[in-house]
Amino acid sequence: MKGKHFYSHLVEINEIYLSLSGMDLSEDERGHLLSLAETNIHATVINTVLSELSEEDKKIFLKNLVADNHEETWKHLLEKVQNIEEKLNRSLRELKKELLKDIEEAKKS
Amino acid sequence: MPAKSFQYKLLAEKWTNRHRSLQTEIFEKHQDAFKWLADNSKQLAVGSLASIFLLASPAAAKISVLSTTSTQVSQTIDRKVFLVYDLRNVLPSDVRPLTSDEEKNVSEILTRDFGIPVSAELDGKKLNTTYGIIGLEQHLPRFPGDNIFTHFNNNADTQQYWAYGMTQGLGAWGYFTDSSGTLTQKDIDREKYYIAVQTFLAPGFDSNPKEYTDFFKYRKMLVVNPQNGKAIVADIADAGPSPWTGKQLGGSPEVMSYLERVDGSQRGPVLYFFIDDPNDTIPLGPVSY
Repeated sequence: MKGKHFYSHLVEINEIYLSLSGMDLSEDERGHLLSLAETNIHATVINTVLSELSEEDKKIFLKNLVADNHEETWKHLLEKVQNIEEKLNRSLRELKKELLKDIEEAKKS
Repeated sequence: MPAKSFQYKLLAEKWTNRHRSLQTEIFEKHQDAFKWLADNSKQLAVGSLASIFLLASPAAAKISVLSTTSTQVSQTIDRKVFLVYDLRNVLPSDVRPLTSDEEKNVSEILTRDFGIPVSAELDGKKLNTTYGIIGLEQHLPRFPGDNIFTHFNNNADTQQYWAYGMTQGLGAWGYFTDSSGTLTQKDIDREKYYIAVQTFLAPGFDSNPKEYTDFFKYRKMLVVNPQNGKAIVADIADAGPSPWTGKQLGGSPEVMSYLERVDGSQRGPVLYFFIDDPNDTIPLGPVSY
């Protein structure tokens, strides 16, 4: 599985990037904000996943996560969590909506 | 403040706080799993630390840097995450002097995680508290004639720390050395990484001020921001702040910057414990895990 994270295929941050592009920011500032957006995405994904797993499966998930074994991580989640993709998409959609709203509010300030 | 900078700061703060809340929720809800991970990190195959760093370091997040350097760093799980979690479990919700049991728990955690022997009490002496609000201090003159224009060794430090200014008076122990010609690296570090603590409020100080003053002079302390796990070895080079300020200690601009602590309405607490270093082998400055 390609990508930086096991969930990379689910994440689309072009909208956030484009929205930030509409602000008068330096390259460093834009880069830092994108990094913060990614850390929020990461935490949201981990929170969503861990909330769906049993104590034993949490350990397996964390073990796969730190081993950087994206394929194994995703396979394990597909086996253990019903509709994991849909659940992650829903969490990510909500987060993206909030991040975009934050950007719009910052633009107006 | 220019609109550009204001908007950036607004968003950065909001998103950092959002991440902190998520981080807290994750570690509180799934503490057993993370505890297991910490306990077993040495036995696990660790391919990349980015996944854990991303949970732990929102303010310093640089995804590309983390991804490319993850294979270069030692193959252990980022202990900072677990330190923050462990401290959260033993510290009270409000900032107040810790009980003896709390101090014992904290000193055990810090000694274990940093490999530096620390304690709330050393040679029978202790401060008024080991957990307090830290404020920002100015630079101290190191020798007669030292001023803000002579104070820095390089442009980067000048740019970053010049604006904090220099105190009109001297630190509690006077100048660090007699002249610029006798200034050593140790003197430079002692000023750079100094803290001011309320020596005058230490139990027993009034009965023997000379003995206590000698004990506190340049005494090394481990100062830790319990909210991000960052730690620095600092030395006591000044006395203060006054009790009415609501603060219990102060840090040099370099100490504050490293710990990611600020003064004013956003000020926050740190832990500060004596370091038992009779042979002076532990260097001043930031501590890595």
